[in-house]
Amino acid sequence: MLAAGTGAWALAAATLPLPDYYLPPPTAVLDALADLTVKGILPTYVLESLRRILLAAVFGVVVGVPVGLALGVSRRVADFFHPILNFFQSVSGIAWLPLMLVWFGFGERTILVAVNYTVLFPVIFNALLGVRSVPRIYVSAMRTMGAGRWRIVVDVLLPGALPSIATGLRLGLAYGWRALIAAEMLVGAHGLGFMIFNAQNFHLTARIMLGMGIIGVLWLILDYFLLRPVEEATIARWGLVQR
Amino acid sequence: MTAKIALRGLGHEYVNPFTRERVLALDGLDLEVPAGEFLTMVGPSGCGKSTLLGILAGLVTPTRGTVLVDGRPVTGPGRDRGVVFQEFAVLPWRTVERNIAHGLEIQGVARAERAAAVRRFVELIGLQGFEQKYPHELSGGMRQRVAVARTLAANPEVMLMDEPFAAVDAQTRITLQEELNAIAQATGKTIVFVTHNVEEAVFLGDRCCVLSRRPGRVKTLVPVTIPRARRTWKLFTSDPAFSATKDQVLRLVREEVGGEEDAR
Repeated sequence: MLAAGTGAWALAAATLPLPDYYLPPPTAVLDALADLTVKGILPTYVLESLRRILLAAVFGVVVGVPVGLALGVSRRVADFFHPILNFFQSVSGIAWLPLMLVWFGFGERTILVAVNYTVLFPVIFNALLGVRSVPRIYVSAMRTMGAGRWRIVVDVLLPGALPSIATGLRLGLAYGWRALIAAEMLVGAHGLGFMIFNAQNFHLTARIMLGMGIIGVLWLILDYFLLRPVEEATIARWGLVQR
Repeated sequence: MTAKIALRGLGHEYVNPFTRERVLALDGLDLEVPAGEFLTMVGPSGCGKSTLLGILAGLVTPTRGTVLVDGRPVTGPGRDRGVVFQEFAVLPWRTVERNIAHGLEIQGVARAERAAAVRRFVELIGLQGFEQKYPHELSGGMRQRVAVARTLAANPEVMLMDEPFAAVDAQTRITLQEELNAIAQATGKTIVFVTHNVEEAVFLGDRCCVLSRRPGRVKTLVPVTIPRARRTWKLFTSDPAFSATKDQVLRLVREEVGGEEDAR
């Protein structure tokens, strides 16, 4: 698939009567990769973007999961917050950017607020849904064994909500990754988004394509090494999802 | 001596969340269960059997009447009353071993003591070799065994069982009933066991309590005189006293459903 696609691309670039900046050949992208790596620009930008998304991931887990769990415990509270969270989940960080630029300026602060915001709401929302979806019979069983509120949260609600929490983190980080690229484009403070947006000013099309490819590959790597192992060790092992 | 469980003038009314109708599930129910008795409870569907069990467990607060356990009013769930539920209520994210030990963990029992209890109950219910398995890797019958072991391990004085074997196949059900019989004999616990299966009720009970149609109250208490030691399916089903009692209970239940429905 990958080879065929690259082949078709190389063929099109070689035969079609188009200028190089319109459709550069795959080799030009590889050249850009080598060039930017040697100059140290690419590693710096990749690390910058990764640092921002990982920060948001930590924030999502540390803040989003407990808040979602807490809001999900009571049915009444959950019903109240459900539409609010759903609203903010849909108004993505990208839509907030113009306002955030006014509030936080053209800098790191705006990027971090936009990304953390974007990650946070799907995480809270799905953690809340997860708690609500835990079969009540488990809670009843715990209560008849003399379990208190805190133990019910730790032993029943948290593990029971994990499949949904995992979904929330996946969604949140995927949205957050997009918001990050968009924010870097607008704010222009390093990062992969800045790299591809800036390259457009100089018609460095190969560099744009390289950046796009890296954005996609990095996400695959994040998903594979960060999210999947967690799922395998927990919800798949417990038979809560089918593999 | 006071009864282990005493229900006086018990009534319960609730609003059906879907139809918004008020339902009078139980009305003026009186019942006493002496310590160490195995009481089975049958009745037409919707007669409030499960509601009654929920009230005994402290999960449902009755709208009228009193519930006394050891002479003290029930105000909520407590570890003196263990429950085995109809649906699978063991936690999917805990191994067999950790599910069985859960009650003891909640009670703050030390690890070594928990391990010893787990070993004992794993053996009692025949789950050796499955200690490290998760519930989804077990059959329905084995999962209910884990649920019974979890309740037993927490060592409650009263065991409340809500159609625990309804969802397992007929063969397994017979085995589980025989095992429960042996357990009842060995532990001498007070057990209230709700079922819609008359044969099961007669096989297991010291007395079989037949409830009326809704609103449920005690219609008749039928004593089962066959000694517990003789209660294996082979001996039991060939005993004329068994079929006589079964027919009697079945007749009483059918009076309540008006013959529209087969109560067995």
